[in-house]
Amino acid sequence: MRSFNAGDLLYLLLAARWTVLLSLIAFAGGGLVGLIIALMRVAQARAARWFAIGFIRVFQGTPLLLQLFLVFFGGDLIGVPLGAWLSVILGLSLNAGAFLGEIWRGSIQAVPNGQIEAARALGLHYGHRMLRVVAPQALRTAIPPTVGFLVNLIKSTSLAAIIGFVELTRAGQQLNNATFRPFLIFGLVASVYFVMCWPLTIAASRLERRLALAYQR
Amino acid sequence: MRIWSLVAVLALALGLASATPGKAQTVDEIISRGSINIGVLVDLPPYGILDAQQEPDGYDIEVAKLLGKYLGVKVNLVQLTSPNRIPFLVTNKVDLIVATLGVTPERAKQVLFSIPYSAIENVIFGPKDKAIKSISDLKGLRVGVPRGTVQDVILTSTLGNDVKMARFDDDPSTYQALLTGQVDAIAETGLTGDEFYAKNPGPGIERKFILLQQPNGITMRKDQWNLHQWVNTFVYFVKNNGELNTIHEKWFHKPLPNLPTF
Repeated sequence: MRSFNAGDLLYLLLAARWTVLLSLIAFAGGGLVGLIIALMRVAQARAARWFAIGFIRVFQGTPLLLQLFLVFFGGDLIGVPLGAWLSVILGLSLNAGAFLGEIWRGSIQAVPNGQIEAARALGLHYGHRMLRVVAPQALRTAIPPTVGFLVNLIKSTSLAAIIGFVELTRAGQQLNNATFRPFLIFGLVASVYFVMCWPLTIAASRLERRLALAYQR
Repeated sequence: MRIWSLVAVLALALGLASATPGKAQTVDEIISRGSINIGVLVDLPPYGILDAQQEPDGYDIEVAKLLGKYLGVKVNLVQLTSPNRIPFLVTNKVDLIVATLGVTPERAKQVLFSIPYSAIENVIFGPKDKAIKSISDLKGLRVGVPRGTVQDVILTSTLGNDVKMARFDDDPSTYQALLTGQVDAIAETGLTGDEFYAKNPGPGIERKFILLQQPNGITMRKDQWNLHQWVNTFVYFVKNNGELNTIHEKWFHKPLPNLPTF
């Protein structure tokens, strides 16, 4: 049992880099997967819709911890070792993609049908219809739930500890096991998470206000 | 938390499913590679901790380094956690683990144990004013344990519903719970408990009785017979020449206990 030192504080802050990096991976990968899933979910083709629904059910209905576990260790079982990085990219992207896909599907469907019909009547193609007519309107309704989910996602990256990443939470646990100062260490860990999440929330509400202004008459 | 039992089940399934890997690893292969990947815990004082420079240290880590020295190869320490140590081993992500893994027939269905290289002393701690002398005195009390440990299994199987188990994520939380009175007693590692309660006297907590002495083995995959034989020889040798005892004295301040072999 040793005392908490300045090096430990640095260790925590360095571990927070992993949390940031894992979060960025989850944002980017999840955003890409989520966009595809949302578009499939509102597509005309029945097969695409069913695939998207199945995908969402599976990834929303099982814990992220187990998804990471299965991707990382399961790959070895079937003879395709993925390694920690590929596993974490896959696991986080697929999971976040399922949630973001469903959030964005709702936002897309919240755009009044008349808008799409009008765009069609004007002869706009699918791409233009989605990009110029639907997306700008869906964006407004999508921001609050998206940010809420992303803030949660930052905290969920702690689950990557199961496949060997020593990120913020795991580093805190390790130090607590050496120093037995839970209130100090987990207090620090919580503050670092807060510093990461708070600016995101603020930026989101700013963006929301700006977009709301654009639609005021 | 049910999710951890799910992970445990998955880990078990993994161990059984990977029973037929390609080629068994031999000592010669490790030597010609020039390095060995050893899985260790860094969150179980004094077996594995992060030292003041945030480097892995502790009894297990010194044993792992000694093993590397005798094998004549470089040691890469891989930091594992209690739930993922067996999955890392059986999926070839480490060559062996020195991670205070208790030798049990259940685990031996998935992995191969060396002869014991350490023992963990499990003690019941409780407040001075509570008379707890044997396991039956724990009936009706709230007893804290770290989840999924040997003491968790023993108390649950012997006392069943007569005891209210409080399962914590790790050791510090378990010690803390007794200090703050959330539980009536805890089952924990003796030495660390002594140190912790000497530092944080609180309401006057003392050792009640020794629950068990659990011998731990260095752990390998089921097909690593060649390596297993070498590791057994290594443990036997350093037990006899006193090197293991020196490490034990350093971390536990007492000589190596009697470690039965098999």
